Amino acid sequence: MRWASKFPAAAYAEPITDLDGQAMEKPWFAKRPVSGVRPGDHGWLAYSGSEERDRVIGPFVQEGLQTNEKVVYVTDAPPERLPGLGTRHHINVDAYRRAGQLRVISRQDACLDRYGGFEPARMVDTLGREVDKAFDQGFRAVRITTDYSWLLNEPRRSDLGQVLGCEHRVGDAVSPSTMAMAICQIDRHACPRDELIALRDTHEVLVEVNPEFDDGILKIVRTFEPDGLRVEGELDAARHAVFAEKLTQVSKDRGRVHLDFSRLAFIDLGGLHLLARHATVLPASEPLVLDHLAPDVESVIEMVGWHRLPGLTRGTERVLSDSEGIG
Amino acid sequence: MTIEHRAFLYRDVDEFLEVTVPFLKSGLERDQAVIAVAREPNLTALRDVLAPEAPPIQYFDSAEFYRHPVHTLRDYQTVVKQSAPRTVCALAEPVWDGWDERQTLEWIRYESLINVVFDGSGARSLCPYDTETLPPRVVAEARRTHPWLVDSGHSGPSGEYIDPVTFGSGCDRGLRFDRPRDADYLPIDGDDLHALRSFVGERAGKHGLAKQRAQNLVTAANEVAANALQHGTPPIGLWVWQDGADLICEIGDNGFWRPGPSPLTGFIPPDSALQRGFGLWTVRLLVDLMELRAGWDGTFVRLRVR
Repeated sequence: MRWASKFPAAAYAEPITDLDGQAMEKPWFAKRPVSGVRPGDHGWLAYSGSEERDRVIGPFVQEGLQTNEKVVYVTDAPPERLPGLGTRHHINVDAYRRAGQLRVISRQDACLDRYGGFEPARMVDTLGREVDKAFDQGFRAVRITTDYSWLLNEPRRSDLGQVLGCEHRVGDAVSPSTMAMAICQIDRHACPRDELIALRDTHEVLVEVNPEFDDGILKIVRTFEPDGLRVEGELDAARHAVFAEKLTQVSKDRGRVHLDFSRLAFIDLGGLHLLARHATVLPASEPLVLDHLAPDVESVIEMVGWHRLPGLTRGTERVLSDSEGIG
Repeated sequence: MTIEHRAFLYRDVDEFLEVTVPFLKSGLERDQAVIAVAREPNLTALRDVLAPEAPPIQYFDSAEFYRHPVHTLRDYQTVVKQSAPRTVCALAEPVWDGWDERQTLEWIRYESLINVVFDGSGARSLCPYDTETLPPRVVAEARRTHPWLVDSGHSGPSGEYIDPVTFGSGCDRGLRFDRPRDADYLPIDGDDLHALRSFVGERAGKHGLAKQRAQNLVTAANEVAANALQHGTPPIGLWVWQDGADLICEIGDNGFWRPGPSPLTGFIPPDSALQRGFGLWTVRLLVDLMELRAGWDGTFVRLRVR
């Protein structure tokens, strides 16, 4: 298997867990929006539901097809129902499959033994073969993705160690590659939290949705479960309009909306006014929840007093990086 | 329900107790929420006298309660709101030592503002002034900022009382607004204030302000600049300079503020962020002192932090 590697060693940090799953050092992750995923990325997406999954995997698949990259999707779902594909997206699935640019491979063909059991070595071989072929076919890169929730939540679930071993081997193959990039998907409800953490820690890149807005000063990212927005950087008058628009969008037909302010370094007083004004149109039982307030922002709110911001409520405190990527 | 705002001129601890103890008890009898904010050793003396009956009184040391006049007004307002529907009976002894002349003026203004902020609250406030140790000017101003007076056993209206608006314009009349020629200047021309925040934050750091205070100044300057961009007339700019231990940040525009700020502008705590005046009031909270000047040559807002 060639994986079109130029680098003998991993381009990323050393593995963060040993084979027994013992933490070797503090996990280190790069967090990237899906459009920022590049060759060498062994990415991870623990999605909360189909909306979040589709908003990550959809662009991953589409951008590959639109830019002469090969897309390999290991799944038992019919191709036209995969994220980003099908008539709804004006993508001619059959044409891409005929041209060899889109490979939809069944689990049986990709990674199961003849008795239907999961065989990690087969998965690695299958992917390696697809990457080699892509090189010969002249594609400039290969995007690989699969949802392996089924391995962990079906009655005949596989041994976690087997799955971790598979992830390590895929990671070892993808990380030094100048051609291959992968996003491993998992439903974050598919297995217990400690298993999720162990799985996450076999990846160097946490993949999330593309930001709704990013001008280098303010970044707004849609969050799921809870539904809301993560607001990063500085929110000021020049950016009120775009923020109000995104806030209205995410509030539409949804229950309680959460704003993650963990990386909000600055909010102007007009921004507080804007939040309170937005809250006036929400039902009294569903206040706007401000999560993980950064100290500078919290201090201004406490100075004016929460009661002067009717309809806003304090949510959870700042989180540890432990829950990064798994909600 | 107007407020009974009474200055109490006393000479020693005995006289202090003779008047304040019955005052606090009368609050309890009327089922008011009773708080006692006093300076030491008065506070301890008061607690000792009242201790046997263990009445439901909240005690605060003035040294903690009187640190920044706009904050203190906010805190008293919080007490009034949280006590509703009961009204408040407050013993409220301000602190007069440790302030420079400019700060003292703001504390005098604060006493006058009590009459507006708590108008309609039904509160009763007794403000002790120690005539033996306080500067004569402070005692003289107390007669002008309190509609009621207790002095040498006599209680009655203060003949020298002046309404807060008139009093406030008097406070502002003598203010000086000179600015050194070598002050750092930043023109404000776009609507993006990111550069302004960096400019102010950097100078606040150089001045040695702690992180939180520096950030507060940045938030205040940003708010004033955003106001100027929205309502003012170009050219708009910001000056920063040091004045002794203080760092001063002034935002000016060429517009004529009409009808212009009142002596109460930004002093009255708004009920919510949705109310007019929320921005300027918060600016007053964020910095040590905010001064406004609206003249024919433009509108200037000066922020001072130490």
